Formats: sequence, structure tokens, C-alpha cells
Amino acid sequence: MNLNENYNKLKSILGLSLSLAKANFKVRNEGSYLGIFWYLLEPLCFFLVIILLRAVINQKSIDSYPLYLFLGLIMFNFFNGATGISSKILVQSSGFIKSMNIHKEAFVISVVLQYIFSHIFEMILFIFFIIYFKASLSGLIYYPFIFIFLCLFTLGISFILSTIGVYINDLFNVWNVVMRVLWFATPIFYVLTEESILYRFNLFNPMYYFLDNARQWIIYNTIPSINSLLIMIMLGIGIFAIGLIIFEKNKIKFAEMM
Amino acid sequence: MEDRIILENISKKFYMGYTKDKTALERAVSLFLNRESRKDLVVLNNVSFKIKSGENIGIIGRNGSGKSTLLRVIAGIYIVDSGSVKTNGKLVYLTGFGQGLNPKLTMRENIFLIGSILDLSQRDIRLKFEDIVNFSGLKDFLDTKVYKFSLGMINRLNFSVGIYCLKHSNPDILLLDEVFRSGGDLEFQNKVIKKMEDFIKGGTTVVLVSHDMDLIKRYCTRALWIDCGKILMEGNPLEVVKEYIKSTTNPNSIKIS
Repeated sequence: MNLNENYNKLKSILGLSLSLAKANFKVRNEGSYLGIFWYLLEPLCFFLVIILLRAVINQKSIDSYPLYLFLGLIMFNFFNGATGISSKILVQSSGFIKSMNIHKEAFVISVVLQYIFSHIFEMILFIFFIIYFKASLSGLIYYPFIFIFLCLFTLGISFILSTIGVYINDLFNVWNVVMRVLWFATPIFYVLTEESILYRFNLFNPMYYFLDNARQWIIYNTIPSINSLLIMIMLGIGIFAIGLIIFEKNKIKFAEMM
Repeated sequence: MEDRIILENISKKFYMGYTKDKTALERAVSLFLNRESRKDLVVLNNVSFKIKSGENIGIIGRNGSGKSTLLRVIAGIYIVDSGSVKTNGKLVYLTGFGQGLNPKLTMRENIFLIGSILDLSQRDIRLKFEDIVNFSGLKDFLDTKVYKFSLGMINRLNFSVGIYCLKHSNPDILLLDEVFRSGGDLEFQNKVIKKMEDFIKGGTTVVLVSHDMDLIKRYCTRALWIDCGKILMEGNPLEVVKEYIKSTTNPNSIKIS
């Protein structure tokens, strides 16, 4: 009975999330001439800029650098985009939250779903890149495994941020700065060497584990170390659980705070 | 008869002049200076009543008297500071229709969007789709973007989706907060009221907050007059409405706390 109830609740939360995400996705592309190509254009432009910059600054060469860079960019983009929007999604949806007893989780989940959609498009572009650079496609089958944990991790952080965002209005701006710092601190366009100062920092950087595992498996076809896989899995499940608990504890107060 | 809603000694305070629209810096400054004193506004003060199955209750009172807060407390959107709220059966709370309408989408897409916000699955909406479109009388505009609609058309769309979703979810308790003021024309308003009558007469327990005294007199079996978070009067709608109207013509009688 109780199990059945929970199942129905989960189903209706997911259903609502999906239709909110679909509607937002449509609205975002509405009236723009290039439509969904914007999703690809943005990371692509960024990618080209960095490739050009790299020709100017001479760093030690990296194997299959374009793939290394692009995979890092799109994975970080996914995390950055979803968490950024989540930090203000509840305040933006205050109309609903105040006027109906709606599953509030759905707003946060719909943001992450929306970024999953666009990530899929970027992934398709990535596959073209792999083919173009004549790398092996076989490593790609491991990506869903990594991406599931990245999604859980992102969802957990999004739950936490959206909760804080109800109480603090300028969280979005603060988080933007944090993300910019993290962007430079994470080895997205450079390679981390053990003697650099950033190496220590990145041991505590969750994104590093996701990027590093994905790159090793997909681009270099080597199995990542068990340690770093375990850390990735624990981060995904742990942060998701913490985020969900924080959200559930606080959600009853949201309607009054907006 | 079974009790649908039981409220026992509920109280609700709001901290006014606190939290709202403040940035972190402002909050830190006011924390250090300790200037801002918290002002509590008592919105509901020791309210208790019971509503039996099949009863239709009308709630009247001035702006800021706590009517909407009361409904939100019953609906479980707000938590009470003290007292207990018990509801029995499936509950739906509506404050006007039109939550979630997205003007940049077409009418067809909006029907699906609003439907899922009102907790219907995609399959259920597909089943009701034909009825909703027919009721709204906007069949020719199915694939038009809603921002091109006139206000009246938007109201028609909102009501049609809202009412059919309501019918589908078939609640035991229906909380209505000023939903009847639609911008539809007379023909459509009559259609809406007729649909709502089905609920009111069909055994659903309806709690109606409205400033439309005719509605209260026509449909309610009992009326509550609330002021400053307290029940001033309770009983036969005709008498309560009469007293309420008498008080409004005498403006210096009551003030907001």
C-alpha cells in the first residue's frame, strides 16, 4: 500500500518534471532562427577559441587534445548550467508554489532534465568529433555509466542550491563566481600534472573525478583506477541523498518565504 | 455524517518586515545593527471548526482578514504554528485558473502543460482533449500561439482545462479562492457556473472564498465571516452576509491589526 503510494508519487513527480522540461525546452527555442543549433554553437565557439588560444600559448602537447577539451567542456557545461538555473528556479516558480500543493521537487528535476536534453545534442556532436579525428568509438559505451552519477551529483547540488536560493536572493550571482573559479581550477583545457599547485585542490574537486574518469575511458580507452571510480560513485549517490534530505526537510516552508 | 475537515485551535503568524526581498548584504548589515525588530502579524488566531461531508462553506471577510491563509493552511501549503489540521479525502485547492499558462506555446501544447501541472498524466489529457477543446469553443485556434489570444480567449482556455482536470481528479474536498471571476462573456460564464454546480451539488465538500455575496447565498449551506484571523460569525449564509454587508457600510468599525 505504502510502496504503491510512493510509486504513484514518484510517477507523478517525474511526469510533471518531464512536461515542464519539455515546455521550457520548446520556449527556449521558440522564435529563434537556429533553434536547437544554439546548444551546439555555444560550446563549439568556445571550443574553437580555446583551440586558437592554445596555438598561442605553448603547453606540452596532449594526446587527442580536441576530444579531451570538448568532452571536458560539455560535461562541465552540463553541471554549470543545471546548477545555475536551479539556484533561482523555486523563486521563479513561486506562483505555483504559493497557489497549489504541487510537488516542488519537479521544478528542480525539470531543470536537470532540460540540461540532459541539451547534453545529448552535445554528445552527438562529440561523436562526430570522434569520427572526424578517427578515434575509437568503443569507449563511448561506458559514458552512460559515468553520466548517471554525474546526473545524480548535479541533482543533489541543485536540490541544495534551490533550497538556499529561497532564503538568499543573490545566490545565483555568488554561484556564478564560484563556477567561474571552478572552471579554471578544473583541468578542462589543460592537463593536471602532479607537481602543480592545482593538483592538491583537484583531489577535493568532484568535477575532476567525473571528467578524468570519462576521458580515460572514452578517449584513451584505459580503465580508470578503482579508487577514482569509487569516489565518483560515492559522490553521485552521497550528494544526491544529502541534497534530497535538505530539500525535503525545508520544502514545507518554501511557500511562506516567497 | 463524516467530518471532512477538522481544524482545532489553529494559529498562524507571519513575520512581516523580515526576510522578504533582501539581499545577503542587507541582511548581514541589519543583523549587526540589530535595528529591524520583527513584527509579527497574527493572521489566524485560535480558529477551530469542523466541516462535514457534503457541506458547502462560504468564507467572507475583508482583504487581509486571513481567508486565503486559512485555505492554504487547510490545503497544506502553509504549516500552522499551533493547533491541528485534519483533512479526510482527496483535496484540491484552486486560486483562479491559469497557473502555468505559457504564452509562447500553442494552445495545444498549453493544454498538455496545464494538465500535467494539475496532476494529470499525458494519457488522461489525451482522453479529455476533445472535450476541453469543445468546451472552450476555440477549436480554430488550436495551433495558435497563446500570446496572440485576447484576454477573454485566455480565460476560456484556462477555465476549460481547469474544469476538466478538476472533473477528472474528482476531489472529495474542493477549496476555491475567488475562481469565479472570469473574464469570459456571459454565455461562457453560464457554462462555467453550470459545470461548477455539478461539483457543488454532486456531494463534493466545497469551501468557497469569495467577495461575490450572491454566490455565497446561492450555493453555500453555511457561511463563516472572518476578521483579523478570528471567526466573527458563523451560520446561515443569508444572515451572515447581511451582517457583513451592514459592517462594511460602517467603515470605522474594524481595523486591520
